[in-house]
Amino acid sequence: MKDPYQVLGVPETASDEEVKRAYRELARKYHPDNYQNNPLADLAEEKMKEINAAYEDINRRRDRQSRPQSTYYQSHYDDVSSLQRVRQQIQAGNLTEAEALLNRCPDHNAEWYFLRGVIRYQRGWMDEARNDYQRACQMDPSNTEYRQALHYMNHGPARTYSPYGSFGTDLCCANLCANTCFNPWCVCPFFCCY
Amino acid sequence: MFGYVRPPLEGLTEEDSDRFRRAYCGLCHALSRRGTAARWVLNYDFTLLAILLSDGEDVPVTRRCALHPARGRPCLPATDALELAADQSLILAYWQIRDHVDDHRALKRIPFRGASAFLRDAYRNAAAARPEFDLRVQEQLRVLGQLERARCKSLDAPADAFAALLRDAARDVEPLTRRRVLQQIFYHLGRWVYLVDAADDLKRDSVSGNYNPVALRYALSDGRWTEPARRDFTLTLDHSVHNIAAAFELWDFGPWTPLLERIFYAGLFQVGRAVLDGAFHKRRIITPESEVEQ
Repeated sequence: MKDPYQVLGVPETASDEEVKRAYRELARKYHPDNYQNNPLADLAEEKMKEINAAYEDINRRRDRQSRPQSTYYQSHYDDVSSLQRVRQQIQAGNLTEAEALLNRCPDHNAEWYFLRGVIRYQRGWMDEARNDYQRACQMDPSNTEYRQALHYMNHGPARTYSPYGSFGTDLCCANLCANTCFNPWCVCPFFCCY
Repeated sequence: MFGYVRPPLEGLTEEDSDRFRRAYCGLCHALSRRGTAARWVLNYDFTLLAILLSDGEDVPVTRRCALHPARGRPCLPATDALELAADQSLILAYWQIRDHVDDHRALKRIPFRGASAFLRDAYRNAAAARPEFDLRVQEQLRVLGQLERARCKSLDAPADAFAALLRDAARDVEPLTRRRVLQQIFYHLGRWVYLVDAADDLKRDSVSGNYNPVALRYALSDGRWTEPARRDFTLTLDHSVHNIAAAFELWDFGPWTPLLERIFYAGLFQVGRAVLDGAFHKRRIITPESEVEQ
């Protein structure tokens, strides 16, 4: 097992408060909310487990009572539905199979659009995923799962982890240093910009 | 298409700025091994590709070149990763230019023909070393060309064709975790580059009538953004940057971490915003200040 202090990125001499701060920062970075429907969510989960274990280990070493752990990782797909097999394939990361199953479903209900949105999101088709979530919400406005997915599409990135606080094209400082090129060969801009 | 990745140098420490420069010079030397003309494809996008593909080490060597014949400059040594990045850069650049030859008519295609002829020997060397990557790039650009000719109204479909092309650059990376992380970064970087490029061309394409997925998706007839269109487009860009950043956090990029963090959490947003505000100038100008002395 890795050195827990190394995992949290703090020296052994760090105070309890510093350890806690480092843990919280990392937990924020690898929190499942930051990896919603992300194809790398399993890797983030591994990281999160490692961080949790390191934090617990340090606390144990420091002869403290172990702190209550976060209740992460509740499955998004607990409910049983007619499209459960599609959900299972998505969870297993088999997007092609999930899509094939979905295409064989004759009933294009709200859940069908929602699941197509999930598949599209994982594939990186963000714009069309959002359209599907919107459609699912229009067809079943009371469904919390669909509303959460659409809410994440509309507001998600702005609330995700960033070392600089804000996250977003419209939230950044627009100061772009235009002439920072140090390409010694760049006497002809043509090749830099094809 | 390329030319949109810019490290926000003003926010970097001198050490990280120098590190980026070493990668830049290292890639330039790696390119020149495929032919003198090859170094003309050098840009920041490909430097980022080289950094991400490199195994995280940064042990500089001093190399002389035509521009720095006396003292030379510190740069990354020739590694397999750097050679790979150089070859992939050349292949991508060459086929992009060939694509422009096909897209333009008569006199307008002459400069692109000239450019492709100029690069041909270097490209052939790179393609001989990476034949599979070369074939896959051609195939993906063919798919992209079909979508563009059909004036596809989807944003995601053409962006996917281009993004998949870049994702392929990490196809043979080991171990699996690193490959998955890099493929995700490359995919969304490719998607972001394609969309930003389309946004940058919005006005030009509205005049020329050329295919522009952004204009078609949001029904922008005069090349001007509407408020809802800009908001939705920004959102889709931010989701891609978020996916890049989230993937980046899952691998240890060693000494490159602060630099990459700066690019992914600040640089991409700055360029995206400048493009949307119409303040981005792709054609870079060499200034005396741009050649910072070591």
